[in-house]
Amino acid sequence: MTTESTTLLPIATGRRTLTQLRALVRPRRSRLAGALALLIAGTTAGLVVPPLLGHLVDLATGGGSAGDVVLTGVGLVAAAVVEAALAGFGVALLAQVGEGVLADLRERFVSSALHLPLEQVERAGTGDLTSRVTNDVAVIAEAARSAVPEFTRAALTIVLTLAGMAVLDWRFLVAALIAVPVQAHTVRWYARRAVPLYARQRVAVAAQQHHLLATIDGAPTIRAFRIADAHRDRVATRSRQAVDLLLRGVALQTRFYARLHVAEFAGLAAVLGTGFFLVRGDLVSIGTATAAALYFHGLFGPVNVALALVDDAQAAASGLDRLVGVADLTPPVRQRAVAGDGPDAVVVRGLDFAYRPDRPVLHDVDLTIARGERVALVGSSGAGKTTLAKVIAGVHRPTGGSVVVPAGEVALITQEVHVFAGPLVDDLRLARPDATDDEVSAALDTVDALGWVRQLPDGLDTEVGAGGYVLTAAQAQQLAFARLILADPPMAILDEATAEAGSAGARLLERVATAALAGRTALVVAHRLTQAVSADRVVVLEAGRIVEVGTHRDLIARGGPYATLWRAWSDQRARH
Amino acid sequence: MTGGRSLLADALGGQRRLISLSTLLICGHQAGEAAVPFLIGVIIDRAVDGGVDGLFRWLGVLAAVYVGLSYSYRYGERSGERAAEQAAHDLRLRVTGRVLHERGGAEADRLPGALVSIATSDAARVGAVAIAVASGVAAVVGLALAAILLLAISVPLGLVVLLGTPPLLLLTRLFGKPLEERSETEQEHGAHASGIAADLVDGLRVVKGLRAETAAVARYRQRSRSALAATVRAARAEAAYQGLVLMLSGVFLAVVAVIGGLLALDGQISVGQLISSLGLAQFLVGPMSTFGWVGADIAQGRASARRIAAVLDTPAAVPDGAASPVTPVRGGLALRGVDSPPLRGIDLEIAPGELVGIVATDPAEAAELVRLLGRLHDPAAGVIELDGVALATLAPDDLRAVVLAVEHQTDLFDDSVRAAVSLAGRARPASVDAAVAAADADEVAHGLPDGLDTVLDDRARSLSGGQRQRIALARALAGEPPVLVVHDPTTAVDAATEARIAGRLRSMRAGHTTILVTTSPALLAVTDRVIVVHDGTVRTDGTHGDLVAEDDTYRETVLA
Repeated sequence: MTTESTTLLPIATGRRTLTQLRALVRPRRSRLAGALALLIAGTTAGLVVPPLLGHLVDLATGGGSAGDVVLTGVGLVAAAVVEAALAGFGVALLAQVGEGVLADLRERFVSSALHLPLEQVERAGTGDLTSRVTNDVAVIAEAARSAVPEFTRAALTIVLTLAGMAVLDWRFLVAALIAVPVQAHTVRWYARRAVPLYARQRVAVAAQQHHLLATIDGAPTIRAFRIADAHRDRVATRSRQAVDLLLRGVALQTRFYARLHVAEFAGLAAVLGTGFFLVRGDLVSIGTATAAALYFHGLFGPVNVALALVDDAQAAASGLDRLVGVADLTPPVRQRAVAGDGPDAVVVRGLDFAYRPDRPVLHDVDLTIARGERVALVGSSGAGKTTLAKVIAGVHRPTGGSVVVPAGEVALITQEVHVFAGPLVDDLRLARPDATDDEVSAALDTVDALGWVRQLPDGLDTEVGAGGYVLTAAQAQQLAFARLILADPPMAILDEATAEAGSAGARLLERVATAALAGRTALVVAHRLTQAVSADRVVVLEAGRIVEVGTHRDLIARGGPYATLWRAWSDQRARH
Repeated sequence: MTGGRSLLADALGGQRRLISLSTLLICGHQAGEAAVPFLIGVIIDRAVDGGVDGLFRWLGVLAAVYVGLSYSYRYGERSGERAAEQAAHDLRLRVTGRVLHERGGAEADRLPGALVSIATSDAARVGAVAIAVASGVAAVVGLALAAILLLAISVPLGLVVLLGTPPLLLLTRLFGKPLEERSETEQEHGAHASGIAADLVDGLRVVKGLRAETAAVARYRQRSRSALAATVRAARAEAAYQGLVLMLSGVFLAVVAVIGGLLALDGQISVGQLISSLGLAQFLVGPMSTFGWVGADIAQGRASARRIAAVLDTPAAVPDGAASPVTPVRGGLALRGVDSPPLRGIDLEIAPGELVGIVATDPAEAAELVRLLGRLHDPAAGVIELDGVALATLAPDDLRAVVLAVEHQTDLFDDSVRAAVSLAGRARPASVDAAVAAADADEVAHGLPDGLDTVLDDRARSLSGGQRQRIALARALAGEPPVLVVHDPTTAVDAATEARIAGRLRSMRAGHTTILVTTSPALLAVTDRVIVVHDGTVRTDGTHGDLVAEDDTYRETVLA
């Protein structure tokens, strides 16, 4: 299918992101102020060093005493200790603020993501969400952890150093500022090229990752069909593309630094020249000129750090926009009408539905399901069974007509089985957080799973899911039914829940499904007609229309479409 | 056996020209960086006793040094990064090649995600050693050059720096190491939170299906908070370490300054030389901190090289074979006394060209049988023969050219439907069309925007299970393998379609040995004969009709 997925989830504007960040920082603003105060004090302590060294030079030229020299040395040590201590505490405090903001943000993101309407997720795919919650969060975490403290310290050093130079003599500041236009121009030049290049880089690296995963995951298939060469070539091509883009990024960076070297040289020459003439004119001491030169030389590092972080900042900012975009969504209010205590659980009237206006899927569907009734939905592939199930479950909104379902009472179990990473019992408690161990065991027993769960290395506490003990598809399905029992909704919709287990496994799951559905209103999308036999009523769908409704027995007797389907199904089973 | 050490040597050895070039140039850059503070002293000295032309001459020298250091940095960095990226790229392909190797084994006991991370992150870390080596050597050179300049200014000052540096480095490392280790474990803790979030998003449909959003959010919040506590601890350790380094280098500078000051006071060195030595002492902080990260990068690179080597060295799942299949292939199969849990002593024979169904009452037995025929591994005991030649004596790839064994769980890849079915262009176009029709995949293609040329992304997850199965079955048929084994290929396909597919499958496979491992009556109905496997061994065989009529277990298994 074609991809139109990336644009379907919102991305916040820069302004909105900033507002949100400010709101997140607000409760921590006293800590932030403390961190900045510590860092300013620390940097100032460090800036005492060049003047002290200058003083040393003056002592050497002006005939000071050995005691003075040692005393200056003591001052240098004191400056180093104070700077180190204050900077250490400041950075730690700053990181605490940054990490706290990040944690708040990722929690809000996960909350919004889980509350997204399923329809939107279906259209956008989960890939975008996953990449936001992993890649973007990682980029921002990296920024919060190192870039923000580094940048803050560098920026403070730059500003305070320039102030220090002005204190020595204002002419030194003027000389130093010669470098600024070159640097400003360089950063603009760089950002213009770097931003699109890094965007392409990220895409290429993600594509490489994606292909590697598909290739490695599919290794048995690739070996069986002997298409390893083609796949190796594809991985090589993707890897080569990523490498080329990464190297282009390196080339761009080195050109960036070459330009900064020019700025460094221009500034340094100007400061040295200024010192030369000021010393000759007896306007400053040689110690002061030394201090100025050392100040400027000491700026190289922080300037490079601050400017190099421009692209980290870019990446983090775009990641933030993507996180805030989702985190900002207000959970939609469920707008389904609540049916009263009437006998009917589901009432569908004149329902039309289309994914695309030119391709209608369901036409004028009328269906009523009574409370406690078990209805099987049958029909050939492509008849619209899954779509009807999803519309009733509230995943899709009808294009026309109405669907009335009790709010919040419908559980939908699809063929997509997922086992959550962590202890198995935690997976089940997602469905009912306050379930006791006995209730969990009882649910597992009902779905015939208690036996094998007890055999697991740590029983109920065994780590399962990604990175844990690997369960078979059928076991994962049993867990899905156990969750259903624990969640205990009055109504459940089952779609292809037994399809992927292979036919022998399917029968086990059918039995399990029956147990899990006991006492519930149920709509079962039946791929195996045995599911229809045991249903209270069978609904036959053909090309998006309901063509027959009735019990298995009645429909067989009627000799219509269902009877034909049944014959195809049972012929293979009964004849010969 | 590769081993981590020799893998690292190999990977870097392949890039030795680039690495040497990079080392040379970065050394030049370091030399330039060392010369700048030295020149600052010289130029300030001119203010005391030189003329304006002296100033400009030395500024000219400074300019020349800048040109040199800038260009050597530019090209040194580029060649270093190129070496790193190329080494990583080569390793990535070696890992991919090993995973896809016909004899298999590399993916056993490893999650696909872990293998991807080895092929990307670990490969990149090994590559990064190239840069670490170049930078480390250059730092040594820079340090030596600074020492020589200092020795030229004053022997005692030079000695202080030369003798003072190693203990300083040692001290930094001593204090730094435990802090660094602690910070790393705490960071891993933090990374766990994002793993949990990704897992919840992966299971989004399940969460929403059960309306368990609130419970899931609460659980995530709990994990996120404990991760936060861990990362804050890590950040504190990191900050303490940085403070320590800052303090040590500051104290070192103070010592050099005091000794230099005393020497200048004594008239042993000039003021310019004092300034130069102060500048050089400040410069030394750079190369010294380089040692810190170079050491860490090399250690990481080694650990990564070990992980990569472990993948490359994983024993193959099956031994290689030297024999060739009989040509032309007749397609007769025989299993004699085959033991491979849960199978116990399977004996069966399949004639060339026969269409056989195999019904196993336990799905695990069926899956094991398919794996054995595809030689994903060999049986513990017994022998499987193709036209009288033992499978274990055939090279796996030669075998698979003749016997295509498709497991129930089979993957589709991101490509067009046509590309998937045609096996990267290997299948004849005519048989591709026939296979697509036989598997009823043309109907699937009909519903797609560009028909057979529609590109499936995200491994065709946007298709329904039945649609995916039909495309996968078409792919199995298209290559016209002399022997085809398929396992439950149509479980998600409706009964009417399944019956249609069964009939066409029979005519498309006429004359070629075909084994349908399934319990689907629609498929079994078109077979010549059905073999029933129960409790790990062959229980009986016969036609589908006879078995339905006579065998209760069979009826129970097949006609539920």
